[in-house]
Amino acid sequence: MIKVKDLFKQYNGTPVVNKISFQVAKGEIFGMLGPNGAGKTTTMEMIEGLRTPDSGQIYIADLDAVKEREKIKKVIGIQLQSTALFDHLTVEEILLLYASFYPQTRPIIELLTSFNLTEKKKTLVKHLSGGQKQRLAIALAVVHDPQVIFLDEPTTGLDPQARRDLWEIILRLKDEGRTVFLSTHYMEEAEQLCDRVAIMDQGKIIALDTPLGLIRQLASESVIEFYVEKEEMKEELSTLAGVKEVKLAEDGAVMILSDQLQRTLYDLIRLADQQGITLSGLRTRTATLEDVFLQRTGKRLSE
Amino acid sequence: MKAYLRLTWAQLLLFARNKNVLIWSFLLPVLMILAIGTLMGGGGNQFKIQVAMVDEDQSEASQSFIKGLEQVEGIKMSHYSSSEGMQQVKKGEADLLVVIKKGFGTHISDNKSTTDTEQVVLYLDESNPTIAEVGSTLVNQELDQLNKELTNFQPVVTMKKVNVQSRPLTYIDFIVPGILSLMIMSNNLNGVAATIASWRERGILRRMQGTPLSSASFIAGQMTARVLLNGLQALVVLLVAYLFFDVHVYGSWALLIAFVFLGTLTFMSIGFIIASLSKTPESASPIAGLISFPMIFVGGIFFPIRDLPDILQPVVKAIPIGYLTESLRSVMNEGATIVELWMPALVLLGWTLVSFIVAAWSFRWDVD
Repeated sequence: MIKVKDLFKQYNGTPVVNKISFQVAKGEIFGMLGPNGAGKTTTMEMIEGLRTPDSGQIYIADLDAVKEREKIKKVIGIQLQSTALFDHLTVEEILLLYASFYPQTRPIIELLTSFNLTEKKKTLVKHLSGGQKQRLAIALAVVHDPQVIFLDEPTTGLDPQARRDLWEIILRLKDEGRTVFLSTHYMEEAEQLCDRVAIMDQGKIIALDTPLGLIRQLASESVIEFYVEKEEMKEELSTLAGVKEVKLAEDGAVMILSDQLQRTLYDLIRLADQQGITLSGLRTRTATLEDVFLQRTGKRLSE
Repeated sequence: MKAYLRLTWAQLLLFARNKNVLIWSFLLPVLMILAIGTLMGGGGNQFKIQVAMVDEDQSEASQSFIKGLEQVEGIKMSHYSSSEGMQQVKKGEADLLVVIKKGFGTHISDNKSTTDTEQVVLYLDESNPTIAEVGSTLVNQELDQLNKELTNFQPVVTMKKVNVQSRPLTYIDFIVPGILSLMIMSNNLNGVAATIASWRERGILRRMQGTPLSSASFIAGQMTARVLLNGLQALVVLLVAYLFFDVHVYGSWALLIAFVFLGTLTFMSIGFIIASLSKTPESASPIAGLISFPMIFVGGIFFPIRDLPDILQPVVKAIPIGYLTESLRSVMNEGATIVELWMPALVLLGWTLVSFIVAAWSFRWDVD
């Protein structure tokens, strides 16, 4: 559905999107995961036709997204990262306004029902909650029944309940046969929603697979995390039983990736005892996309 | 077409729900007119001459003369004893002093025409010649009238006064078209620049750019909504001026509306250009203010353009505000037609076209 090849964009000599290539299949939810400033939004806005790439090709449904912008606009629906709408229009008025921009649209009543906004149709946009605003933003993206929908960090800043409500809506878009391209910096969102995830950092795609595939790419299955005063422990840590990799996160946490959690943990605690070191904040967990990201970039996703 | 109508309607809703628009577009001009009209003495009652009256005679004849003089339009009379009266004039509290000498009444009843002594004395302050002149004329007229009655004078040659205007033009008639012009300029120039720059900054425009909406439809919608707003505003201003101060539109309403329309389009286009040039909404408002503020003084709004120093005349001739003000004023006050106003109309049309083209050319959806 979407083909991107060697996409490149720089601002003031700094590459923001650095020659990335990928494809999105029809009917899948494709996620782009990465920290703020990774280049996700710039990538999406170039595909949406809002920014012009310096080089590279973009095709959506066999249309050239750079040259045939006007045709593309009727095929795609977009929700921008910080959706700004007219504060002093009601939900219904905004929907009617955006509907008027397209030759063919879905009935407003149907949109209000399917996005659970019927009760709010006479409410001014400025009086909506964060979750309601995002539901409206996505409703506006599908007002013309598009095949491809772009959602740029749709759940950022929402409370957990509103986030889960929105996930349901996004999954329903997929059930309706639409292709969804979304960006997020929440790894659990990518895991829950996406069929495939591209991990992006500093303008490059550093990994691309199914969420499960990405986790499996790590040989290890478990993560041990803790904080210590002394950093010189690192050398000895990698010799412990079952240890695959030792990483130092930006916030100072030591992370051990292990495929033999019990053995490694036993050895670690014995070692700490011998040297009289306190392991603070010690915890273990199964590896997630967060760890994949950390392993590849040495950085945490969120924060 | 559908998008254009929806955008126009949406913008009208936004106007109606924005307190600032209501205050600046309707309350402010109305208050300005009420304030200026009241302070400057609108409604036809212009300045009055303060007359201090000293009646030394206290006869029936002098009383009736005073009553007659009191009814003369333009005279406001206060009564004093002879010593106080002089002081009032010297202090400047009164413009002139009329003293009716003792013997005024007996003189009339005897009906003898002598010139040895005066029966009425007028004390004037010649340092204010206009008032001294008008004052003495008014008193003279009244005396003349009395003399004619006493001698049963039959005029041989007579004159009839015909008023060509329903009432004389005052400063309020001058200021109402000025305020109309000021509002058209400041609302559109400042309003458009600030609104569009902030919509761009907040990404409202970028979101619309992601739809098939054309910039022509967007700009046309904005313009229609603002033309309607300014039309309504002009109507409210004119209605208030008519109801409170009897200000009339002597010329054609269609021509007046046509000039409101031209002015709106010109200053809106300039507003769009400013919005495009400014990097942030924070800089758009000051730039718009910097352009519109001097125009208040050189635009003929509060005083006529011909009163401006010669050095400014070429500047005034180059910018649109003066043409708009003078055209609105001519249509309203003098009933001017397009035959007399073709030149300013053409200049405004030129400004509208050029600024519209530049506005459309420089329009950007995005901050980038």
